[in-house]
Formats: sequence, structure tokens, C-alpha cells
Amino acid sequence: MQYRRKWYMKLIIMLLFFLALIWTLVPVYIIISNSFRRTLDMKIMPPRLIFQPILSHYQKIFALDSFGKYFVNSAIISLCVTMITIFFGTLAAYGIKLFKSSLGQHLSNILLLGKMVPAITILIPLFMMMNRLKLTGTYVAPVLSHCCMSLPFVTWLMASFIRDIPMEILESASVMGCSRMKAFWLLILPLLKPAIASAVILVMQSSWNELIFSLQLTNLKTYPLTVGVARYVGAVSVDWGKCSAAATITMVPIIIVGFFMQKFLVSGMTAGAIKG
Amino acid sequence: MRKNFKFSLEKGDLLPTLLMMPALLMILCIMIIPLGYGLFLSFFQVGFGKTDFAENFIGLTNYLKFFHDGTARKAVLNTLLFSAGATAGDLFWGTLGAVLLLEINEKLGKILRPVITVPLLVSPIIVGLIWRYIYDVKGILYWILGLFGLGIKEFPGVTSASTALLCTVIAHWWQVVPFVIIVMTAGLLSIPEEFYEAAYVDGAGAFQSFFWISFPLLRDVYMVVLLISGVDTLKVFDIIYSLTGGGPNNSSITMSIYAYSQAFEQSNLSYAMALSFIAMTVTFLAFGVPFVRHNFKKHKE
Repeated sequence: MQYRRKWYMKLIIMLLFFLALIWTLVPVYIIISNSFRRTLDMKIMPPRLIFQPILSHYQKIFALDSFGKYFVNSAIISLCVTMITIFFGTLAAYGIKLFKSSLGQHLSNILLLGKMVPAITILIPLFMMMNRLKLTGTYVAPVLSHCCMSLPFVTWLMASFIRDIPMEILESASVMGCSRMKAFWLLILPLLKPAIASAVILVMQSSWNELIFSLQLTNLKTYPLTVGVARYVGAVSVDWGKCSAAATITMVPIIIVGFFMQKFLVSGMTAGAIKG
Repeated sequence: MRKNFKFSLEKGDLLPTLLMMPALLMILCIMIIPLGYGLFLSFFQVGFGKTDFAENFIGLTNYLKFFHDGTARKAVLNTLLFSAGATAGDLFWGTLGAVLLLEINEKLGKILRPVITVPLLVSPIIVGLIWRYIYDVKGILYWILGLFGLGIKEFPGVTSASTALLCTVIAHWWQVVPFVIIVMTAGLLSIPEEFYEAAYVDGAGAFQSFFWISFPLLRDVYMVVLLISGVDTLKVFDIIYSLTGGGPNNSSITMSIYAYSQAFEQSNLSYAMALSFIAMTVTFLAFGVPFVRHNFKKHKE
């Protein structure tokens, strides 16, 4: 910044910059490029940068394992989760703001402690309950479980944005004869648009990428993409061709969405941490 | 803190209570009731088919079994090691990256910023998969090490019990360090430039001004990152599931992985429940109090 730089410092910083770039991008590139390589070629080192791309891995996973369906499942689950958690989470966050007694604080603490419960602790009894209710293998089971994992976070995030809205806005609204719910729809919600966009991308990616609940609560008909990927990962060996293709299909869409919503992704993550 | 502890509703608190109801109900049905049911189960000997509770009451046997189970103890130790290593690395590399990101000129920063968000969007199971390919004996890592004359003897990677856990920690860093960089960058930018100028005039170097200005001012940010990263790493499942599967020889097994395999591979449901409750207790013991206290402090401000 304001320090005058020696030439070698500039050089070191440039080097570190390229190292960071390679470190971050090469692993992703490896998997994407491998999905277009013949399985035998993946073991050739150094990896060839120019090769004849093939699509047979993709043909296999779409034709034999209905990855098209998994894709639709993932989309349905993550969209439902996003809508439900943001709707309920925003309402709850507004509730925390409106509380006059300390009850709101205690309730938000309970929500926050929900963030600390390991997925596996809920999964085992939830699996048995869902089995009893005949809900395993429907969209209900993964959607509800993902919602439950994301809801504390969304409430927390929205509450940290709502806290920044001055109380005076609400007070003047009530002077004008506006009910508190009307004030929410007309005044608060429009102010929360960027916050909602942040929550959308963060919740969508966490549901899209979630594995442990989906692994047990879905069946052949409702598998999302992550379970499709997990099914190719064996204890001893991995079918790298199919795996790379499946992984590419899973990560590329959400990376593209994330790229376009990058501003909100970053502001959501920093809001959670900086504002608390 | 105790003084405020009252559950009386003041006038006008009905609407906020109603607003919070759906979220709380959902948490109640999907989290708290299953937790209670799970705790109940952990005192019985039940499998997937058996549901006769009266005959199968075994009390604390499952919890006592934990203390005699070498693998379970190893899982607890590994979880704590993973969490400590991963969190420490997250904070260290994250700070380093954030400082670097602010040092490079604007143009390059604009390139790097969208790039570092990529790992955050990749599913942890795919992160594990990517690194499994990198660590492959015939893979890219050993080719690069080979260029320097190093091989599998010097760094056995995922094939040896001594380094398998380290390998998973590195994969975790790859994914989470960008998050810390983003948060730290925002934190560093919030510090007024004048502080550094004053330090420069007083003759402080770059390191000194970091330790005496940035670090104390970012204490809260460090606290939050520590809490988030700490809690998440104690729950780790996906990365290890696809990278090592807990092996070789249980050297990278964690609480979640062990409980999962006990439940769904060995069908020891009640023992798995007891294990996962111990995992949860560890998390709460480590981070529960600071978590709530932090939330409380922020709320009061």
C-alpha cells in the first residue's frame, strides 16, 4: 500500500499471486479435463494439455445411471430448500427484531445452537422416523432435513442484516398507522433484497452440495447429484472416468451461478462474520 | 446475563412470537424430536428390524462400550486433531492470503477475487475426490515430487497411517481457506488507513503494524472464524468419506465417519447413536459457551 517496494518484493508478490491462482484452479481443471479423457490417459504424467476430447463418460452416466434425473432432483431439492428457509428465516429474523423482552434473544440462541448439532446425530433417528412415516425416498425427507440444517444460518444472517435497519423506520411507520406486518412487506422486505440474494446463493449451494442426509434419506428415484457421485467412489478403487464426469456435472452449474452472484456470495459470507 | 432470564411476554410480543413459530416448529420436529428419540434409542439394543423396546433396555452399556472401544477413542482423537489442524491452518493461511490480496495491485486483485470463490462452491465430496486423484500413487502430486527427486518414501500420502489425516487436512484447507481470505480481507479493509500511516511515521514495519494494529482490531473477526471453522471441522464427514474413507487402518477415521459406518454398514444403530451423542457433546463442550456468549454480546450492542 503505502510502503515503497523493492523490486524483489514485487517479484515475490507476483510469484505468490500465480501460485495462488494455480493452487486454486488446477485441481478443478484436472477433474473437468479428466472427464473428457480416456481412462487410460488419466494415468499419463505429465498430463497432456492438448488431447482428443471424448464424451463417452458422459454418455455412460446419462444413459446407464440417469444423471439427468439426478440433476432434476438436485434442482428441485435445492430450490425448495432455498424458498422455504428464506421465507421462514426472514420472518423469524424480523420476529427477533420486534421482541421487546429478552425472549427473542433466548429463542435465537436456541436456533444458533442448532448450528452445532452434527448431521450424523440427527440423521440416524431421523432416518428411522422417516422410515416409519414412509417418507424415505420422497423429496420431503431431504428437503426437510436440509431446511433444518440451513434455517439457523439463514435466520442468523437475516437477523444481522435486519439489525442494521434503524428502528426509527418502524416507529415512523407505526405513527403513520402502518401495522407491523404491513411495515415488513412494504418497508423491510425491499431493504432486504441484497440480503435475500446472499442467502439464496449460500443456501442453494449448501443444499446442492449436501451429501450425508441425501445419502440415506433418498432412493434411486430421488438421488441428488452428490449421491450419484458418491456411488462411484469405492473404498478401494474409483471409476475415474464416470466419477470425473459426474463431479463436473455437479460442480459446474453451481460454480456458474456463484460466479454471477459473486457480489452477494461475498457479502453474505462477510456479513455473517463481520457483523456477527 | 442471568438477570435478563425471564420468559414473561411483554405487551406486543405476541406477533414476534408468531413470526418465529414456523422456524422453531421446524427445528423442533426435524432436530429436537429426533435428538430426543435418538437419546432414547441409545439406551436400548435395537437394529433396523427390532422394535421391541421393553426387552432390549441396556441402560448405559453403549456409552460404557465407548470407553473400551479403541477405534472410537481413535476417532475422537482424530476429530480433535483434524479440527485443530484445519482451524489453525485456515486462520494462518487465510490471514496470509488476505494480506497478499490487499498487497497486489487492483487489476490482479480483480482477477483473483472471483477465482478464490470457486473452491467454496465445490461440494466437499468432490473436494475429497479431487484430492484423491491428486494423491494417487501414479497421480500428479508424485509426478511433481518426482521432479524434485522425492517419492512415495518421503511423503507416503494417503497410503500410510502417518500422513493420511494430514492429507485430509490439506484438502480441507484448499476448500475453506478462501472463505477466511474473503472474511479477513473485508475485516482488514474496515481498518482506517490512518492507523497504518501513523505506525509508518513512527517507524513500524509491515509485520509490526500487522501485529500491533490489524491483529488486535480483528480480534472479533478471528473469534467468529474460529467458531465457524471449529464447529464445521468437528462435524467433518464428506471430505474424509470420499478421500480416505477413514483409512488406511482407521488412521483418518473421525467421529462422524465412525458413527455412520456403525449405523449403516454394521447396523449397530444404538451404539452409533451413543457415538454420535458423544460427538455432539464434544462439539458443545468445545464451542457451545463461546458461541452463545458471542451472539449475546453482539445482540446487546
